Amino acid sequence: MQWLREWILKTAKRLNRSTRYKRSKKFFDGILNDPDNPYKKYVDLMMMFFIISSVGILVYEVRNPVPEWMDIYDIYLVSLVFLIEYLLRLWVHTDLFKLIVEASKRAHILQIDFSLKKPVAKSLKETFNFMMTPAMIVDFLAILPAYREIRILRVFVLFRVFKLLRYTRSLTQFVEVLRNKRFELITLLFLLMFVVVTAGIAIYVFEEHINPEINTLFDAIYWALITITTVGYGDISPVTHEGRTISMIVIVAGIAMISFVTSVIVSAFSEKLIQLKEGRIIEQINKSEEFLLICGYGQMTKMFMRQRDDDDHQYVILEKDKEKYSQAIKDGYYALREDASRHDTLMKFNIEHARITILCLLNSDIENIYISLNAKSISHHIRVIARASDPSMVQKFKRAGADHIVLPNSVANKMLQTAITRPQLYKAAHAILTGKDVAVFDEIRIYPDDPLVGKQLKDINFKQLRLLLMAIEKADDREFLFNPSGETVLKSGDVLVLMGYRIGLDYFKEFYHESLR
Amino acid sequence: MTKKVFLFGYGRHARSIAYNLLHDGFRLTIIESDESNYNQAKEDGYTDVMYFDVTKDEHLEALIAAPEDRMICMMDDEHLNVFLTLSLRPLFPECHILAISGSIYASQKLLMAGANKVIDLYEVSANRIHNLLKRPVSTRFLDRILSDENGINFREIIIPEDSFLDGMMVDDVNFHACGVLLLGLVDLEKGEHFIFITSGESHKLDSGDRIVCLGMDEDLDHFEEMIKNSEEATCVWPS
Repeated sequence: MQWLREWILKTAKRLNRSTRYKRSKKFFDGILNDPDNPYKKYVDLMMMFFIISSVGILVYEVRNPVPEWMDIYDIYLVSLVFLIEYLLRLWVHTDLFKLIVEASKRAHILQIDFSLKKPVAKSLKETFNFMMTPAMIVDFLAILPAYREIRILRVFVLFRVFKLLRYTRSLTQFVEVLRNKRFELITLLFLLMFVVVTAGIAIYVFEEHINPEINTLFDAIYWALITITTVGYGDISPVTHEGRTISMIVIVAGIAMISFVTSVIVSAFSEKLIQLKEGRIIEQINKSEEFLLICGYGQMTKMFMRQRDDDDHQYVILEKDKEKYSQAIKDGYYALREDASRHDTLMKFNIEHARITILCLLNSDIENIYISLNAKSISHHIRVIARASDPSMVQKFKRAGADHIVLPNSVANKMLQTAITRPQLYKAAHAILTGKDVAVFDEIRIYPDDPLVGKQLKDINFKQLRLLLMAIEKADDREFLFNPSGETVLKSGDVLVLMGYRIGLDYFKEFYHESLR
Repeated sequence: MTKKVFLFGYGRHARSIAYNLLHDGFRLTIIESDESNYNQAKEDGYTDVMYFDVTKDEHLEALIAAPEDRMICMMDDEHLNVFLTLSLRPLFPECHILAISGSIYASQKLLMAGANKVIDLYEVSANRIHNLLKRPVSTRFLDRILSDENGINFREIIIPEDSFLDGMMVDDVNFHACGVLLLGLVDLEKGEHFIFITSGESHKLDSGDRIVCLGMDEDLDHFEEMIKNSEEATCVWPS
């Protein structure tokens, strides 16, 4: 036996080191268990197809003879797929080799004899516990119908329907909600059983000799359940006064119990609903490559949202105040009731892969700075645009890492000065600063393969589109070339700064630019 | 004589605005009805600070304001601000009343109460954030124009009598050769309002019209000098 043990230990060590083994294990773990895995969706869809076709065959079979290929498909292929899935799940759940290697290391350190018994027993126990979880039991039962000799096993095809639970999120969440109310539901179930059994026995005692329908205790209990659930088929009904009295009591108890069960489930859902909804919002937004996190739902955010176009980036509003949060929801925006200054909150988002911009629009500088710091401490790639109330705060925001700082006062100051000193100019400044339709500033970036590359400015008819070319940000030094001359040649990487009507700008982008790309 | 500005309110937003106005050389009168704000204004070194209840008309009537004076309403309390604007309007029908709105719902009310112009703090800031997100380069450009530091500036020029520009069509003038960019104009034939050049209509320039140009300060100075002449060819397209 010595050589076998040595061999197992060696194999275990080798596999534990092998990256290929680990990678393949991780891959299967991903497609089976990780909801963020891109392939899981396809695996799920395939499994759902197998399940539905298998159940479809079961139903079809009742009235029609089944062609042989269907039978073979159902018995061998579907069951085989399920079996493979089951085994894979067991495999990825426990890592026997790791346990063996760990045990041998421990034995080596402690200078004791290495024995395979402990790690194997431990892994078997883990596997067994895992097999006993409801989901795994369902999976196991779903394989059974492959064994055709016993007719009753056909019914286990229905377990394949339960298997669907694994692959659809909404159903999983439903089960999750019910699980949270496990205690209440189990209590009610026991109460129900108690009442049914008591009423069943009572009716059996009173009517067994008199009522021709009630012959066994099973009949009596069946009657009690049908009555208490208010289904009342009427195939068995009490004939004595005693029996009818019991019926009345059972009916009243039944109504009470049903309403109780309903209210428990409803309350469980309403408790969970917000959480489920928020989970969906986060999941949705994490799919996009670029999005905004807007902190706070105050005046500033309201205004920001009002000016927003539909084709702008995805966003979600984070607001910790309950009233403001419900206001945001009422206004029809995506909002989460979360505190953006907390590390956990930001970690829920796809920090690694998405380009995230955080807008700190709260009223308080202290909180805005804290959120900026929080975001920057998580990742430098997160862009932070913060609102500051006072110019003296700007330095602090910069130190906290904010990329842009917006001072409502300073912008207003500029306008106020213009309004007082140069009233005629006010409208121009106002239109530009508030982004009104007549005078929109916009920019057009020249890409390497752009048809505009190499063109002279005088060849482009800005005037016809009613655009005013104000400056070019040169690709070489990122400096502005103000009011460039007609001889200027465009290079890739240049950015044109234009002013004009929204439609003119859109047309330019479409016509000169994107359509030719 | 420098113009006089009445600043109603010395709260959170008003402080920096008062500071800037003083630096722009205005004679500033600050009026407050909140004691701590009043003390703050005194502490910050403003001499002409008044303290009274702005809801009482008799106090407001006592203010001596010339028609060209300006009034800025920016009380911290939004309701008070609207009320004040409403009270000031009939008392000083000639004066220009500017109101700063710190709430998105107040802007419309302030206009209805009779303010000549309303600046909405949130509107401009929110727009700025949108710009930062969507048009970072243009925003940077605009900032540079507005920051006064690098010499590119807006200038409003009244076309003098006997200028060669008098009677010319806008399209025929090569502003570009002078290093200035024509942003828009007030064409007196069409009314008092500002027209953006991008609106596309061609305008005939007359003396007295105001043109708004963007350019380096020295180019603007040069341009302003140049258009005083009645004969000048460099700025006209060679036809």
